[in-house]
Amino acid sequence: MKAIRTLMLAAAVFFLAAVTAAAQIPAVNVENAKGEVISTASLVDGKTPMIISFWSTTCKPCIRELDAINELMPDWLEEAEFRVVAVSTDDARFSTKARSLVQGHGWTDFIDIYDKNQAFMRAMNVTLTPQVYVVDADGKIVYSHTGYTPGSELELLEKIKELQ
Amino acid sequence: MTRTLYITLILALAVPAAVSAQEENSSKGYLSGSFETNNILYQNDSPTGAVAPENRIGSNNYLKLDYYRGKFSAGAQLEGYFPVLQDYPIELTKAKLTNYYVSWTDDAFSVTAGTFYDQFGSGLLFRAWEDRTLGMNNAVMGARVTYNYKGIVSVKALWGLPRMGMEFSDTQVRGGDISFAISELAKWDGTYLALEGSVLNRFEDIPVDLEDEGGKPGSTGYSGRINFEHGSGFFLKAEYVDGGQKYYSNPDFASDGKMYLQKRGNAQLVELGYNNHGLGVNFTARRLEWMTSKIMNNSVSTANLLNYVPAVCTQYTYLLTNFHPYTVQLGEPAYRNSGEMGGQLDVYYNFRRGTALGGKRGMKIHANFSTYYTLAQEGTAKAGNLLYRDFSVDIEKQFSRKFKALLLYSMQEQNTHYGVGKATRLQNIVVADMQYKFTPTFSTRLELQYLATHEDEKDWMAALLEVNFAPYWSIYVSDMYNHGSSNVHYYAAGVSYARSRTRVSLSYGRNKDGYVCSGGVCRVISAYTGLNLQLTTSF
Repeated sequence: MKAIRTLMLAAAVFFLAAVTAAAQIPAVNVENAKGEVISTASLVDGKTPMIISFWSTTCKPCIRELDAINELMPDWLEEAEFRVVAVSTDDARFSTKARSLVQGHGWTDFIDIYDKNQAFMRAMNVTLTPQVYVVDADGKIVYSHTGYTPGSELELLEKIKELQ
Repeated sequence: MTRTLYITLILALAVPAAVSAQEENSSKGYLSGSFETNNILYQNDSPTGAVAPENRIGSNNYLKLDYYRGKFSAGAQLEGYFPVLQDYPIELTKAKLTNYYVSWTDDAFSVTAGTFYDQFGSGLLFRAWEDRTLGMNNAVMGARVTYNYKGIVSVKALWGLPRMGMEFSDTQVRGGDISFAISELAKWDGTYLALEGSVLNRFEDIPVDLEDEGGKPGSTGYSGRINFEHGSGFFLKAEYVDGGQKYYSNPDFASDGKMYLQKRGNAQLVELGYNNHGLGVNFTARRLEWMTSKIMNNSVSTANLLNYVPAVCTQYTYLLTNFHPYTVQLGEPAYRNSGEMGGQLDVYYNFRRGTALGGKRGMKIHANFSTYYTLAQEGTAKAGNLLYRDFSVDIEKQFSRKFKALLLYSMQEQNTHYGVGKATRLQNIVVADMQYKFTPTFSTRLELQYLATHEDEKDWMAALLEVNFAPYWSIYVSDMYNHGSSNVHYYAAGVSYARSRTRVSLSYGRNKDGYVCSGGVCRVISAYTGLNLQLTTSF
């Protein structure tokens, strides 16, 4: 029985892989900085690419990565046009704390969104944070990186520049 | 039953694929997925008291696949435990296709059949979620419908059987949630005001003894909420929860002859704050009474949860700060304790670049205070014994392009017996976390930590050195040393490699007994020593 199940799953995956295109930003509901419910599809504007970073208040490397991007952002914006979307994956309890942390870390130039039920995180198949993506103007994922080592943010600028 | 579900799944996966193959000029769907494997090879280690499990190995594996095509999506999760890692919920065994769903979503409307995750309000009444750190997955198998009318009214209705271990339980949940945004209806500019409410019915067959004592299989709980945010950055959130009827084993059975205690759960939550101009202030107060909510009344598993009641205090991230994290008191007759009350204050401030304290590169400061008490008397808000109190402050400054440092001080005081007596233990912890960049991609990070206490094993010290070669490699060595009484070293070392969406890490070392916490929820772990290999990837 187990073998049959595995086989069925493998067949389904193979069939799907044959008819699929490149991964894009899925449309799920999240909260914006004001607390309003928005669809992640609305982040795609057809004009500028974006860096999407998944973080949480208990993920130290995530905070380090977003601090580093925030520090470099004014210089990067002179070289390329892009937006930064910081996705807090904190639970309902910690999402108010996440909002306070955003202020305390000066991440106000980012588009801050709150994925309280982790729907966006699941839809993007993020299993480990920090997880960062570079997405082109049409919502197609062109680069991704799991984990943060100081300096790995430099690759993001390179990818953004390739999209200009 | 199972077969029908598999057929449903395969159909659900195959239909959109077939449709996409037939439709000309339409955009293709896409497949997304992730795989995670976490393996530990255990060994006996007498200095720490670590005892390897019988087969010396633990392996948790997760494969998740999702297919999206326009408004349609479908997916499944396959889990395998060969066997489950030590101290995870033991009902996680072998391999199984545990979760599967089909879903249709447009701007206003969504329908999901199969497994889904969801929560009402802050989760005090109901939450279905996955947390692999905790071994938690109580996804509900059933159906859910949501509808949103112009951002003014959003409604949710669901029904299903929550997952418990590798199976779906026989417990049924039925619930509804509504949010009414008055500010959207009145078209207020810059102010958000919403009134929200939820209802949850839980149904589980009960033992005959409980029925004889007047117990009922069905119980309904409610939640009412107000949600206010002003454009200036001020916010207020309040929630009242009637948790429904609860049953506990009666510790006084021998004297009063009743096998069960029947209680009604209730909780109150207030969050108040201000977030603007580099300042983030966040105050939370909460009172809980008999707020245990189990999927199955007779299971003692740590994953047997139907609601989300996290400890409302700072969840620390450094080694020595996490020895005694606060675990929430939901009300336990055996402890003569009906619940807890308390609050927390968080303040964040960003001293901008160019200001006197901010200097050339800015400075960040964060302070936190929390305090919790048992309920002195059932049905009141009178504070009893101190359960937990902590104060912490951390300052982070980028001194130059190359050097950055963070200093943390934390004071933690905790009741030694879950509030049964008045005795507490006090500890003071300091941490220095320094990062130095030699080149834009080569850096080191050093953590130095000290814990001072008169209790337990007395003083500890710890150090961690990390060397990073961005963007791929990271190596660390660490040691926690108890020089107060046991003189045991808890050494560890590890390496990780990350490329694109794949990350592999290998580590070896000693791990102290204690708690693993995620999102304010904790599980107890025993000491273990071993080799850990972890791989995550997504596509």
